[in-house]
Amino acid sequence: MKNIIVCIITVSLFFNSGCKKFIDVNDDPNSLLDVQEALILSPVELDISSNIAAGNASVIVNHWMQNVALNQPVPNSGTYLQNNVDFDADWTNIYVTGLNNLNNLKKKAEANGNFKYSGIAKILISYCLGVATDLWGDVPFSTAFQGSANFLPSYDKQEDIYKSIQASLDAGIADINKGTGKAVGGDDYFYNGDMDKWKKLAYTLKARYYMHLTKAPGYTAAAQADLALAALQNGMQSNADDLRFSYPGDAGHENFLYLTFLPVSTLVLSEHLVDGFKTRNDPRLSKMIAPASSTGLYTGRPIGAVDLGDLDAYSLPGDFYGSPTSPIYIVTYAEALFIKAEATLIKSNAAAAQPIYEDAVRAHMKLLGVSTTEANTYLASRGVLTAANALQLIMEEKSIANFLSLENFNDWRRTGFPVLTKVPHALSEIPRRIIYSQSELIANPQALHTAKLTDRVWWDK
Amino acid sequence: MSKNIFTFILLICCCITVNAQSEYTGKISDRTGNPIPDATIKVKNSATTTTSGPDGSFKIMAKENASITVTVVGYGATELSLGNERNLKILLDRNERYLEEVVVTALGIKREKRNLTFSSQEVKSEELLRAKDPNVVNAIAGKVSGVQITNSSGTPGGSARIVVRGTTSIFGKNEALIVLDGIPIDNSETGSIASGPGSNRLVDIDPSIIENVNVLKGAAATALYGSSGARGVVIITTKNGAGYKKPLITLSSDLGFDQALYPDVQSKYAQGDRGVYYNGEDQKSSSSWGPLMDTLRVNGAPVEKRNQMKDFFRTGRTTNNTISVGGSNPNSGYFFSYSYFDQQGTVPQNDFKRHNVFTKFNTKIGDKFTAAFQFNYSNSARHTVPEGYILESPIWTIFTAPISWNPLPYLNPDGTQRVFRFSRNNPYWTLDNVFTKGNVNRFLPVATFTYNPAKWLSITERVGADIYSEQLKYYEALNSVANPNGVLEERTNTFRQFNHDLIISAKKQFGNFDINVLVGNNILSSYGQSARGRGVGLSVDNFYNLANAATQTYSETHSLQRKVGFYTQANIDYKKLLVLSLTGRYDGSSVLWKEKNFYPYGSAAMSFVFSELLSRASTFLNFGKIRVSYATVGNDNVDPYKLTTAYEPANVATVAFPFQGQNGFLLSQTLGNPYIKNELVKEFEVGLETRILNNKLGVEVSYFNKNMSNGIIQGVLTSSAIGYTGTTVNTAKLNTKGVELLINATPVKTKNFNWDVVFNFTKINNKVLFLNGDIKQLSIGFTQAMVDQPYGVIFGDRFKRTAQGQLIIDAAGLPVKDDTQGILGNISPDWTAGITNTLTYRNWSFSFFFDMKKGGDIQNNVDGYGYFYGMPKVTENRQPRVIEGISEVDNKPNTVMADAEDYYRRLNSVLEAVIQDGTYIKLRNVTLGYTFRGALLSKTPFKSASVVVTGRNLLIHRPNFTGSDPEASSFGSANGSQGLYSFSTPTSRTVNFGLKLTF
Repeated sequence: MKNIIVCIITVSLFFNSGCKKFIDVNDDPNSLLDVQEALILSPVELDISSNIAAGNASVIVNHWMQNVALNQPVPNSGTYLQNNVDFDADWTNIYVTGLNNLNNLKKKAEANGNFKYSGIAKILISYCLGVATDLWGDVPFSTAFQGSANFLPSYDKQEDIYKSIQASLDAGIADINKGTGKAVGGDDYFYNGDMDKWKKLAYTLKARYYMHLTKAPGYTAAAQADLALAALQNGMQSNADDLRFSYPGDAGHENFLYLTFLPVSTLVLSEHLVDGFKTRNDPRLSKMIAPASSTGLYTGRPIGAVDLGDLDAYSLPGDFYGSPTSPIYIVTYAEALFIKAEATLIKSNAAAAQPIYEDAVRAHMKLLGVSTTEANTYLASRGVLTAANALQLIMEEKSIANFLSLENFNDWRRTGFPVLTKVPHALSEIPRRIIYSQSELIANPQALHTAKLTDRVWWDK
Repeated sequence: MSKNIFTFILLICCCITVNAQSEYTGKISDRTGNPIPDATIKVKNSATTTTSGPDGSFKIMAKENASITVTVVGYGATELSLGNERNLKILLDRNERYLEEVVVTALGIKREKRNLTFSSQEVKSEELLRAKDPNVVNAIAGKVSGVQITNSSGTPGGSARIVVRGTTSIFGKNEALIVLDGIPIDNSETGSIASGPGSNRLVDIDPSIIENVNVLKGAAATALYGSSGARGVVIITTKNGAGYKKPLITLSSDLGFDQALYPDVQSKYAQGDRGVYYNGEDQKSSSSWGPLMDTLRVNGAPVEKRNQMKDFFRTGRTTNNTISVGGSNPNSGYFFSYSYFDQQGTVPQNDFKRHNVFTKFNTKIGDKFTAAFQFNYSNSARHTVPEGYILESPIWTIFTAPISWNPLPYLNPDGTQRVFRFSRNNPYWTLDNVFTKGNVNRFLPVATFTYNPAKWLSITERVGADIYSEQLKYYEALNSVANPNGVLEERTNTFRQFNHDLIISAKKQFGNFDINVLVGNNILSSYGQSARGRGVGLSVDNFYNLANAATQTYSETHSLQRKVGFYTQANIDYKKLLVLSLTGRYDGSSVLWKEKNFYPYGSAAMSFVFSELLSRASTFLNFGKIRVSYATVGNDNVDPYKLTTAYEPANVATVAFPFQGQNGFLLSQTLGNPYIKNELVKEFEVGLETRILNNKLGVEVSYFNKNMSNGIIQGVLTSSAIGYTGTTVNTAKLNTKGVELLINATPVKTKNFNWDVVFNFTKINNKVLFLNGDIKQLSIGFTQAMVDQPYGVIFGDRFKRTAQGQLIIDAAGLPVKDDTQGILGNISPDWTAGITNTLTYRNWSFSFFFDMKKGGDIQNNVDGYGYFYGMPKVTENRQPRVIEGISEVDNKPNTVMADAEDYYRRLNSVLEAVIQDGTYIKLRNVTLGYTFRGALLSKTPFKSASVVVTGRNLLIHRPNFTGSDPEASSFGSANGSQGLYSFSTPTSRTVNFGLKLTF
């Protein structure tokens, strides 16, 4: 009898000593603890294109800029109905998918001496940060991305964020200039490892973010224009330098803007946008806008309409921007020229800006495949820049070239152009920022989270 | 070892020789002739004891003038004197003084209910089968106090949720642990690819093989089960062949018909807007705010009025056929069962089919060794179309289809879909072109070996496994509105769980103390694997092979969890008056921080049978017991691999990497926490059990107070600015207290007529005390966990009101939405109750079961969307109206008239307008049965025959809920799927005819 018990106890003890080892099976077989830089860069670039440049916030601000409309009764985004939760995805796409991975890529590449990768990471960090601060104003950065070391990152002043953007762009350029480390290749969907183009992008972004501060408190338009013009010396030189993301267009791999306009969303182009092309007699109409499928006419939906319309009777983006294979344009040579035109207008006069403005429109038209003759005819019809109309014309044309870009919202807030009046059934004045995400309100509450859509960010004051 | 036994046997032989004893043989049976096995026969004033075999027989050596006592659970102890008669026939009466019930408790240990120190409640086979539900969880709905069961939708094979004594985890598992014959089995919800409930995997078990289900509620009852027991345990004991003797063949056959219970909709107005008719062909709209049908004329002709739901839903049909055979001889018993269940749902195409084969064999090997082996195989197959408020759901479009529009044919001449509105599929098109098909093959082998080297010692080794593989296919044809390119998905999920228990138990009597001690070891290993191929860009219709897809992606995940536990229990029984029960367990779990992955916990409980102190002649109080317990249970309620932050295969926007020839990995969005340790439940329970008036009235009442601390929140929200959307923490605190009441009464008991009533009542108050840091609120699907609120509050947009609570009305005469959101309701019921009446008269039996829920709010999305579309019955009144409230224009009572359409569209935009009280009283089950007996059967081969007619859901009284059934949860049994009524497959009213024959 005793023997049995002794035997069992022995067996149990044996199990006991072995069971620490037995339960040591918590190594994740589905994920990796480390990967090389190239594997991170590819998905982050896709995030920047599909989720940020063409993401949810980008569509919402283009409601406010009266470029797109929902075929739904009011109230909706078109009439400025927004809740904090509407921006949860944007906050995550920028901070988690974008910035956290970029920050990690930067540190990893620096540690490995792969300065091309760290350079790209720094440039893209600036882009993401630029998008975030222009939408939300003060945002976390200097104490962000620390994981469990800091669960409540503080918010940096927008002015400091802007300094960080420029510093990170400079650091990115410096890293690229080092030129050492692993080469970047096909994992870079944007430029296929062409580091010269990355540098041109960095300088163009520097110019973009200098110009954003033309009316910022404590900054002068002239000084910002000077800085922008200097940066553009090394900026994009042709349409081939554009920062764009090309989609193969096969099922599941479509241009994100195409997916955004699928019938499920009931999103169409606005009457304001479509009628503008018709009024200007713009040769880009047929390239940028598709006729309504049921009528064959170019018809936009009036924003603020009470009733539902026929979804098929409204226009969608045309094949150049809206087909499954269309690229998403994030920063373009045309934009660089418009920045240059505006800066030149500030520094000199309308006449000096004229040829640059024309080049900018031509660059966009060339991109679209509009003939030189048509471009010339169109430019003639738009008239000559004068002190009175120069800024308006430059910004109007810039907003056409920056089709459905986030920049439209920044430029309108800075310059007031294109001129917009608030839509029927508007719930407020036209918004001047987006509100903080619901997730942030819950997880990292801050006094500044009370910001309303109509409040202004620092540089817009 | 064997030498010792040999010595022991030799010793007994010596005694026999010395004392010149004689051999007595005997047979123990009850008054109806059924043998009573496992009775203990003891010769008074000697050490000689034996146990009766499966046929009730025994042999014992005793002196001729000795007395023996026969003790058997449920029959008390009987003493008789021996004489010349060597062949004894012992008839025992059920001793109702000692509540006859024997219940299966933790680890499969049988105990007399009277001695239990904790609360448990049993549901017997006949009651399970009366429910006529293929899902055991649904079959016990409303029957057990302290248990909340939430059915999902009316989809065949749809999931049901079982929560015992309230929620204990914010995001983790909250459902009870299911144990089948001592082996924990998986009951997770699987099989849902598109929107709609999956199946809780207990659906793989045929209820007809179950002898009884016992629910262990409190931590004291479940502490021996280890971590998973913290959520309550449902112990399922299957039938076996013991006691049948000759082969008993049972045949049963059921045929049922289901009628869908859909919500009321308006039947007066055509498709259109502001009274203008839209024909749904060249004028499309989701709205039914058109003109009156009665006066509508198109080209002079009236438009046909349709009953869209009646046309769409079909009468469901269920068949269930079972054959079983069981038998035994003195040394072994067997049971075999095969069943086929086939349910054709009320939504065309939906079905659920299950084959179940079960075998069980137990035998004695020699005197001291018994072995039992059982095996269950089931095959469950399911075809479902999507439901809920996703674009593909035909339920959405049929609930809201205009009564003026003919949905057929569903194709235009050019092959495109005919739709009445944009952005949604034609409901009939969906039936033929979108589906999920699932097929589960499941094996449940269990082997138990028991060795009794001595009367007082028993060693049990139990090994069991739960192995299933699930094949799933999702198909969405080309030109579906949501996915115009079409989607195909092929998934294989494999689950393997192995469980081992080694239990050594010893019992010994020391004077007035009966002591029972047990030590054991448990090893549990669970492995899950999922392989998923997804294709988009289909080129051919009705070709369900992934080869059909232009773009194919593959992903796989694996998950392994292991646990080791050592446990001990001691029961000390003093004169059946006082019972003290102590348990302790030491668990190790692979998913926790390595430094803290072993953790101890335990329980102490006592019961005091005060009726023992009263005069035995007392006829008023037959039984009375008070019990008190305190228990702690450690729990590892976290998935594997949550300790590290790793790079995961990238999925960005719609793209799964690799993409354009490049692979991609991104840091997990969830930050790993290397320091996760176990959470801890502490529960205090006190209970009273009494039986009075000759056992005609029994009352059991329990109060419990349960605190969860160090609660694991897997996926607690973090600021995205830290780089992650969430992490796992050990910070939650929850409190749950409740009262459970069970009353058994037999108001009438005569020779021919019997009336039994069983009533149960549960009131549970649950409160979230702490989440994490400053976080006051976390979303759980459609509800929230908020600090100082019950788990599952509904939070959202509300109406703006004056300080006195009156609505504030705007210049247009419409109620105004408040600027801030607020708490709108709470999905937990105030209380639940169930009452079953069973009447038997001669060969007739009649039973009816009411189930009640008070409170428990529901978001009625069918009305929510319906207000916008103009579909709910209430929108039949389209008179302009003055909404009562205070005008924000002049602060005076509102006098502005508002249009009905504007009013209901405003309601559509404020969540508060669709939060409804889910109170209901249901006549859940009515059964009328007739059993043929005696002369009627004497000329047939049948031993017994019975016919039963069952009606289910015959009445639903839902005073404040405007949908058809407040019990329906549209998206399954997950934490986040509760509290929402939203275009789920309707539940049904059912009539079922059953025939049962034995021979």
